[in-house]
Amino acid sequence: MTSYAVQTRGLRRVYTPRRTEPRVSLDGIDLEIEVGEVHGLLGPNGAGKTTLVKILSTVLLPTEGSAAILGRDVVRDRNEVRRLVGCVFGGERGLYTRVSTRRNMLFWASLYGLPRREARTRSEELIERVGLAERADEPVENLSRGMMQRVHLARGLIGDPKVILLDEPTTGLDPVAALDFQQLIREMVADGRSVLLTTHDLDEAEAMCGRVSMIDHGKLLMTAAVRDIGARLASADRVDFRTEDVSVVEKVRSHPEVTEVSPLDVPGTYRAQPASQQGVGEVIRLLLDAGVVSVSTTPPSLEEVYLHVIGDRGMAL
Amino acid sequence: MNARVIGTALRMQLAESRRQPAHLLILVTSPLFAVMFLSIAKHSSSDVAIVNAIFAPALISLWFLSLDLGGATINRERWQQTLNQLIGTPARLSAVVFGRVLAVVLLAGLTFVEAYLMARFIFGVHVRIPHPWLLSGTVVVTLFAMAGTATALAGLFVLSRQVLLFQNAMTYPFYILGAVLVPVALLPVWLQPFTRVFFLSWASELVRGSLRPEAVSLWPWRMVAIAGLGAAALIAGVVMTERVVDRLRRTGEAAYS
Repeated sequence: MTSYAVQTRGLRRVYTPRRTEPRVSLDGIDLEIEVGEVHGLLGPNGAGKTTLVKILSTVLLPTEGSAAILGRDVVRDRNEVRRLVGCVFGGERGLYTRVSTRRNMLFWASLYGLPRREARTRSEELIERVGLAERADEPVENLSRGMMQRVHLARGLIGDPKVILLDEPTTGLDPVAALDFQQLIREMVADGRSVLLTTHDLDEAEAMCGRVSMIDHGKLLMTAAVRDIGARLASADRVDFRTEDVSVVEKVRSHPEVTEVSPLDVPGTYRAQPASQQGVGEVIRLLLDAGVVSVSTTPPSLEEVYLHVIGDRGMAL
Repeated sequence: MNARVIGTALRMQLAESRRQPAHLLILVTSPLFAVMFLSIAKHSSSDVAIVNAIFAPALISLWFLSLDLGGATINRERWQQTLNQLIGTPARLSAVVFGRVLAVVLLAGLTFVEAYLMARFIFGVHVRIPHPWLLSGTVVVTLFAMAGTATALAGLFVLSRQVLLFQNAMTYPFYILGAVLVPVALLPVWLQPFTRVFFLSWASELVRGSLRPEAVSLWPWRMVAIAGLGAAALIAGVVMTERVVDRLRRTGEAAYS
């Protein structure tokens, strides 16, 4: 029997706060994440992402269904699961900011039951690895947001987890710090760990994940490999082209297979959206016949698929 | 409870308190209490009153800090959003809470030294200690009992959002019940049995006894009473803390209200 890094079956979580109606946060989630996979969990605020992370990290019980980490049930085998999972959050959540990174690391190492010498060695290794050796004795509150995030990652790895749960880890980071953090995650994956990444940042998901799942209102809407995600949209590839001749643009626009032509950021460049893959070929032929030499096709982006699947909820809950 | 986890939590609390002077404010206010009590006691020229004046502020500070800082231990973890991570580790939350509380109580224990030094060097009162070992033992057992009681309070307080109300209500009445200001024998007869279920009353009486020249009667049993009540409170604290964890995992919320 295959043991998945993460496996959920009919996972359901209902919150029943006093004096208010019960709220379904997860509704029958079936999810399988392979060992060594980086899996993205996408969804708007309140979709149920954090609830799933809490259940997988054993801090919340499921109402129905089951969840397992590397074959260990999160309810029945919770102590084993706690040694297999490392959680990394974004922002200041989960750190003792008044004390140093080193103190934080030794504290969490002790809670994971590492012997004293191993705790020291492992703390130092991780501090070194996340590039904080020179500032390891400063209070965490003095560190920049990006550095704090690295402390989070080091903390999440202190128990040497096989599965890392990253809950919006790059929220609020500047692009350079976010890229830096993503590189660290890739290194952790290269060590053979599996990752579940919840994020709003679709570019990050596209860059980091092999597969993504989209979740909304507690329901899993789809799971697909990032490279195949475009196929989930009914629409075909888009055709990008460059021309100064407005009549060519009009010809493309009037083609029966083309549903839309829109200008891109660079002056003189346009994007045509054919209705089918056959239409893509016809548009390319039309452009080449008209003497346009700058032509390329691109599949629908993850963002487009996300907006298509999740819909434009705006501020609605 | 894992001794290593308790030790680590203790060191973490000491490190945090060093960075937060507000945690140590009691070490500043306690001598001021001592000044007030000693001024009154010196005016009365009563030896008993002077002994009371030295140790009452220390016991008050000990209780106050345990209530204020120790009792809020789990709530502080909630506020800084570390509680979920703590629950997600293989360690027991109650061991972390007890370790942190123990650190707070040890810090508060410094008020005994402060009160003694105030009397000695500011008021020129030289307190003879006829039973130094008994006094030392009583202080140690009292600190343990205080840590146990504060662990129970930490579990109790997290279940309510009216923490401040509880904390305020549990100061002066408990100084009376703890025989901190007035010896048990001077309290109304109907109140005296109630003082016996509160470890501080045994501790206060034993501290006073250790400062009098005459032999202290039944001191081993009185010491056992302090330790026993402290241990009972600690067990209650562990049970309550683990219930908080169960509740948090079941409902997603720590508090009842």
